[in-house]
Amino acid sequence: MTRKWLLGAALAATSTALMSAPVSAAPVKFEYWYGLTGDLGAVVLETCNRFNASQTDYEAVCVGQDGYEKAVQNTIAAFRAGKHPTIVQSFDAGTADLMLSGEFYPVKKLMEDAGVAVEWSNYFPGIANYYAASNGDFFSMPFNSSTPVYYFNKDHFAKAGLTEAPLTWEGMEEAFKALKASGQACAMAYAPSTWIDLEQFSMAHNIPVASNNNGYDGLDTQVLFNTTQHVKHMEDQQRWIQEGYSQIRTAQSGKSARDSFVEGECSIFFSSIADHNTVHKIAPAGLNWDVQMIPVYEGFERHNTVVGGASLWVLSGKTEDEYKAAAAYLAFLATPESEEFFVSNTGYIPVTKTGYQALLDKGFYAKQPYVNRDIALKSLTFTEPGPLTRGIRLGSFIQIRAEWTAEVEAALAGQKTMKEALDTAASRSNDLLARFARTYPGKSFP
Amino acid sequence: MRRAYFKFSWVAAALLAPQLLIIFVFFYWPSAQALYWAFTLEQPWGGGNTWVGFDNFAKTLSDPYYWSSVQVSIVYALATTALAMVMAMTLAVFVDRQLAGYKAYRVALIWPYAIAAPAVGLAFRFVFNPNAGILSYLNVVMPGLWDPTQIAWQSVFTIVIAGAWKHVAYSFIFFLAALQSIPRSLIEAAAIDGARPLRRMFDLQLPLLTPTIFFLLVINITDSFTDSFGIVDTLTGGGPFRATDLMVYKIYSDGFRGFDYSGAAAQSIVLMLLVMALTFVQFRYVEKRVHYT
Amino acid sequence: MIERTPILNISTHVILAVGLLLILFPIWIAFVAATHDLTAVNTAPVELWPGDQLWANLTAAWELSDFGPKFINTLIVAVGVVIGKVTLACITAFSLVFFNYRGRMLVFWIIFITLMLPLEVRIVPTYAVAANALSPFQVILDVTGISWLVATLSGIQISLEWNLLNSYTGLILPLVATATGTFLYRQFFLTIPDELVEAAQMDGAGPLRFLWDTLIPLSKTNIAALATIMFVYAWNQYLWPLLVITDRANYGMVVVQLSDLVPDALTTGGGTPTWHYAMAGTLAVMLPPIIIVIFMQRWFVRGLINTDK
Repeated sequence: MTRKWLLGAALAATSTALMSAPVSAAPVKFEYWYGLTGDLGAVVLETCNRFNASQTDYEAVCVGQDGYEKAVQNTIAAFRAGKHPTIVQSFDAGTADLMLSGEFYPVKKLMEDAGVAVEWSNYFPGIANYYAASNGDFFSMPFNSSTPVYYFNKDHFAKAGLTEAPLTWEGMEEAFKALKASGQACAMAYAPSTWIDLEQFSMAHNIPVASNNNGYDGLDTQVLFNTTQHVKHMEDQQRWIQEGYSQIRTAQSGKSARDSFVEGECSIFFSSIADHNTVHKIAPAGLNWDVQMIPVYEGFERHNTVVGGASLWVLSGKTEDEYKAAAAYLAFLATPESEEFFVSNTGYIPVTKTGYQALLDKGFYAKQPYVNRDIALKSLTFTEPGPLTRGIRLGSFIQIRAEWTAEVEAALAGQKTMKEALDTAASRSNDLLARFARTYPGKSFP
Repeated sequence: MRRAYFKFSWVAAALLAPQLLIIFVFFYWPSAQALYWAFTLEQPWGGGNTWVGFDNFAKTLSDPYYWSSVQVSIVYALATTALAMVMAMTLAVFVDRQLAGYKAYRVALIWPYAIAAPAVGLAFRFVFNPNAGILSYLNVVMPGLWDPTQIAWQSVFTIVIAGAWKHVAYSFIFFLAALQSIPRSLIEAAAIDGARPLRRMFDLQLPLLTPTIFFLLVINITDSFTDSFGIVDTLTGGGPFRATDLMVYKIYSDGFRGFDYSGAAAQSIVLMLLVMALTFVQFRYVEKRVHYT
Repeated sequence: MIERTPILNISTHVILAVGLLLILFPIWIAFVAATHDLTAVNTAPVELWPGDQLWANLTAAWELSDFGPKFINTLIVAVGVVIGKVTLACITAFSLVFFNYRGRMLVFWIIFITLMLPLEVRIVPTYAVAANALSPFQVILDVTGISWLVATLSGIQISLEWNLLNSYTGLILPLVATATGTFLYRQFFLTIPDELVEAAQMDGAGPLRFLWDTLIPLSKTNIAALATIMFVYAWNQYLWPLLVITDRANYGMVVVQLSDLVPDALTTGGGTPTWHYAMAGTLAVMLPPIIIVIFMQRWFVRGLINTDK
């Protein structure tokens, strides 16, 4: 009995000694859950590998979550179980709940606390404001940013006698007519999209999507899109389809707008600048194309558009070391080399002024396949962001987008007029917003 | 029915314990929490909720779009189940005849069950594509005849076909297994009595198949309510204009995507009650006609 | 075949051939897509005849996804699920059918209801349970005051923790609990004639002996069918592994990796639509279930089973 006891004690002592013996410092790990997939996801993973290779103090463990929605949803599940990552890549529509919950570490404060110097004014305002508090303090780190443009076929335009890509919708309609007259069956491949047709359209025209300055000022917001120029725009879109200038092209209907354009069937399509890279990759040789800023109606002053894409949020409830590691990683992403790596391997655009300038100086945007990709930046910085062009901060935003899409589809299929459709979408959206406000009583966006 | 039992002992309870334990921990415990959210307005990131009683149910049940969702879900369930089971049983009966090459058929017909969802969606898109798919030839005959992006019932048709496709393989396996376990001596006896193959099929094999038919009926109907999310997601996304917005898809869109946990929970309870009612009806009225012995 | 029935034979062949064509056509499309390159696979109309890029696409997809370890992981999980499911379903159904106690039907319904609430709906709280599988018991102990009692009496704090994340157990256990298998066995056991039971009882066999000696040999086709279905079901798991496994290198499963190859429609533009890689990956991922199915075919063969009762 005594021998066993002594043996046991000896073993215990040895193992304790071994455990407390000094071990060489292992790098501090933190987890980062991102949503991009496919080759874009591979690029994100590569940024992590580059970070890990560049230093030995910290290690980023990056896990792809197969899509923005799943990334946020899985993070919520993990958060409720206390097993969440330190950084999550969240898209625009997914952030209202996170903001109101307060369960995040604003990056400005994170960098200050970690002692990392960041030149916040270096970020393009059109990008910064989407992710910042009303006083300009950054909540999340801009990462993959894009904005919409329209892609046009230069050969078709030349054949129709068009010398320049129109910047007004009236000019666009003239272009449609010219294209049709020159024999183009499909002048524009159209796919209804809230992001382009509603949100960015409203930004460029400086008209509201919703009250309370697009939701920034309070939770008692109501949508306004069924009362603005947006209605005329959607009615025009419907009219152009009926008059044979544009055709609905979606993946479900067989060929997406992008594929219709790439195969030379349609002369124009609207999409994010991020598609610039993809079109280069899948276009057959001989496709002569370029991009242009989205048009505005005459009588409206053009304003800046805002970003799509996603940003990086740092969540609460992690340790001090993990936050230091996260800060280091975010700082790494903001270096010019890292920015260049990211924009050369994807269709996204740089987020900082110095980053952009460095690329310009190198002649980056003068070489294929990047030529004219920076027109997106022109669109993003056309004016300083005002109260209506900072961005959109609405609760239940994903569902609001879905309501708009379903109603517009119904109108385009002839089941109701566009105005009825938008009215229904607006009233259902307002119900959603009211419910959202009830879910967060007494709170408002920080 | 059955008369012969073993005497009840601790053995019976011990045999039940493992499964009950697992479903308590991994189903009932989490589900209770998820369903509790139906009576509150839950904040996704935690941090509190507001008790609202039956408000979520009232909102859900008074939404006209919700009722169209219920309707299309029932249509989908019945159509898919009928199509899948009839096809599967026909194929199984014919494979069971063991003509030349039947082994190849056996393997090939089970194959669809092994395919993961993305491929199924892509492949069916190519079949149903109004511009360039197989069915686009209908549009050559009369333009606009086949367009699931504009004509609602055609969109429902596509998801029914895709849903039935997967279930055919599943049902086929069980029908074949059941047919194969019918003793050969019984069939030979019937043949000697002068029954032709078709007669044997109806008088002998079909009744003996009834337990399997019942099993597959219940499973197929339940599955088409609760497991049909993937098909809708890859083929139609719930559209066009909500025409294929199955109940389970709506739950996923609202809860998983839209972060409306409370609304999704309320809808889930309604779905569960509906499926329970349907299953109860099947057990009560259909099981009576099943020949167990 | 027992007699000569030429007309019926021909119609049988025709029906089966047509059925086969209908069933296999989508798979053919997927196969063809895997044999073309990026431009071709994104051009409509859809390719109907194979190209020559199959090997290139397969190797690219394999390397991109690092399928090797994932195949092994998924195999382990699938086998675990099969063994667990077949065993559990069998013993549970046995208890429900061959014993007569009050509340039998209630228990059956309790098990059956688990089919009616899809995982997507309850995934958030299920994850919390996976993070600590003993948390329900912890809560029960806390709520009933037992843990307080134990702490006061002996100074020991009860803190149950069993983290199932990033583990095979976490992948296997939740999948093993579904009701399909139990229902299937119940249906089969109900067809067992009373005479067999009575004969066993007269021989002095207890319930377990009856189960082992008589029932299980009789259930061979059902076991085979259930095992096949369960293997494929576990192999194709997506949502649960996506959430529960963040250590993809060590525990990742194949379909999760495969969906990374499939272009995501939601990201505002950008990703290259690598459908050819996605379909090539699908073919690779499809192979093990097909092999299992071919292997299990033997158990469906009439004659191997002694069913003469």
